[in-house]
Amino acid sequence: MTGIVAKGLSKSYEDTQALRSLTLEVPEGGVCGFLGPNGAGKTTAVKLFNGLVSPTSGECSIMGISPSEDPQGVHRISGVMTETARMYGQLTGLENLCFFGETAEMDRGDARERACELLRWLELWDARDKKASAYSTGMMQRLSLARALMHRPRVLFLDEPTSGLDPESAQMVNEMIAQLAREEGTTVFLCTHQLRYAQDVCTMYGILHKGELLASGNFEELWKQAGCRIWAGVRLKDGSGPVPGMVEEDGWWRKAVNSEEEMPGILENLIKSGKSVYEARLFYPELEQVYFRYLEGNVTDGKAGVGA
Amino acid sequence: MKWFLPLTQGQKALIRKDFYQVWKTPMLRNTLLALPAVLMVVMPVGFLVIACLAPMKDMNGMEELMALLPQKAKELNERQMMFYVMTTMMAPMLFLMIPLMSSTVTASGSFVGEKEQGTMESLLLTPMTVKEIFRAKVEVCVRLSLLVTGISLVLFGVTAAVGNMILKMPFWLDWSWLVVIVLLAPALTVFGVVFMVLVSGRSKSYMEAMQTSGYIVLPLILLFVGQFTGLFVLGPLALAVLALVIFLLDYGLFRIASGKFTPEKLLKK
Repeated sequence: MTGIVAKGLSKSYEDTQALRSLTLEVPEGGVCGFLGPNGAGKTTAVKLFNGLVSPTSGECSIMGISPSEDPQGVHRISGVMTETARMYGQLTGLENLCFFGETAEMDRGDARERACELLRWLELWDARDKKASAYSTGMMQRLSLARALMHRPRVLFLDEPTSGLDPESAQMVNEMIAQLAREEGTTVFLCTHQLRYAQDVCTMYGILHKGELLASGNFEELWKQAGCRIWAGVRLKDGSGPVPGMVEEDGWWRKAVNSEEEMPGILENLIKSGKSVYEARLFYPELEQVYFRYLEGNVTDGKAGVGA
Repeated sequence: MKWFLPLTQGQKALIRKDFYQVWKTPMLRNTLLALPAVLMVVMPVGFLVIACLAPMKDMNGMEELMALLPQKAKELNERQMMFYVMTTMMAPMLFLMIPLMSSTVTASGSFVGEKEQGTMESLLLTPMTVKEIFRAKVEVCVRLSLLVTGISLVLFGVTAAVGNMILKMPFWLDWSWLVVIVLLAPALTVFGVVFMVLVSGRSKSYMEAMQTSGYIVLPLILLFVGQFTGLFVLGPLALAVLALVIFLLDYGLFRIASGKFTPEKLLKK
């Protein structure tokens, strides 16, 4: 079954077109990184997927359930963490989670047990009896994540889950997301600015700009479509250059290749020609590079003007 | 909306949470505690003290006041009459301010407070339907308001009964009071809640909402002033008709409020 489906999904607010004809499919168990600058329409997409707002046109479904027709059905199987969905400051962390567990039809005992499990997992156990209003930004983020996970959702929508977190906490949250997808088959829809973390956990991406989906697919599809290349690089003994067919950059002699299969041949030729090879590696395109290429409009009809 | 259905587990949890939150918000808690104490104990006791101790010779307007009273009250002496005016003309209006104010205060915390804290979205993301959330929240406000109203009635009942005994006069409860307790108080409770739901969309904080709610107390004050100045006296039948009108108004406003209680409207900034 497909985890998340959007077909021509659009949303307008008075004079603003927040989302234009979004068409996207996230397979069950996939982790989709939904990338885009502020105001790109990421949060609107999350709200549409959860029935908090109605689409102006188009349709979507979560595990086959339409959020417009059955928002509660979607909420039963999905967990949502957004920056605007806050926790009750007057309740403790544990009370907050137990409350949301009960609203998700868990009985009191189960809700408490699950809350304790999550508080330990997210390293909030020591602060469980503190009022949420006394939590730091990072702790509040993790508590919101715990709320979204309370009822063991099959689909998880995370809107900037690592914003405001210190690197250790961000790392922990990302590992948790990857673990949920890997071990429990949870489908994750991750809206983020933090491209480095996204590349570690996502299995596919959507790049959104001004409400429009510029590209979607797995990373290889994206970078190929953007015209980025894999580079074979070697570090040679000083004074070994020039090397025919290769260019030097930051002490590395580099050459664009179509696949990693070309690397052994390049090394063989270099050794045959008497070059002393100290180090060899493949430079793959990075998500950040691909993302900016799309955003800067360097991708036309799926091909980039300049190789990366 | 299916009000006859038993509450779901989520609704029960929401009701408990809202009770707790109202109690933990000093402004709301203090208002709910002060209302019965001031209106139903301090003011009647103050009036009783004046009725017992004030020199009657120096009191102005007693004859004019006597002319307004029904036949049965004309047999009372001046001190008894003062207390009679308080228990039958002033106190019912003061009493009616309690369901109205306690329901608006509770609703401001329950509906606007949720919006103010940014927790409405979290609530709308739970598997509870928006109608279930609406019902649970209305129940919190109505239950709490009726509780405060009930406590107020007991407090006033004791205070007035003590006054009746001290002044050796008939018991305070009459047909008008019964209409006020059984019909008008519940009607005004629902009115207060529904009014607050309607203004909650425009209020950014529960304080702002509470200030707005001040407007709906005004007609009640005018009613009180009108009665006290002798402009008119509302008997049991007039009060019952008034209750019916408010119930009809409640129904209409409730339908409008319920229709406006949608995620898109609630999350609008």
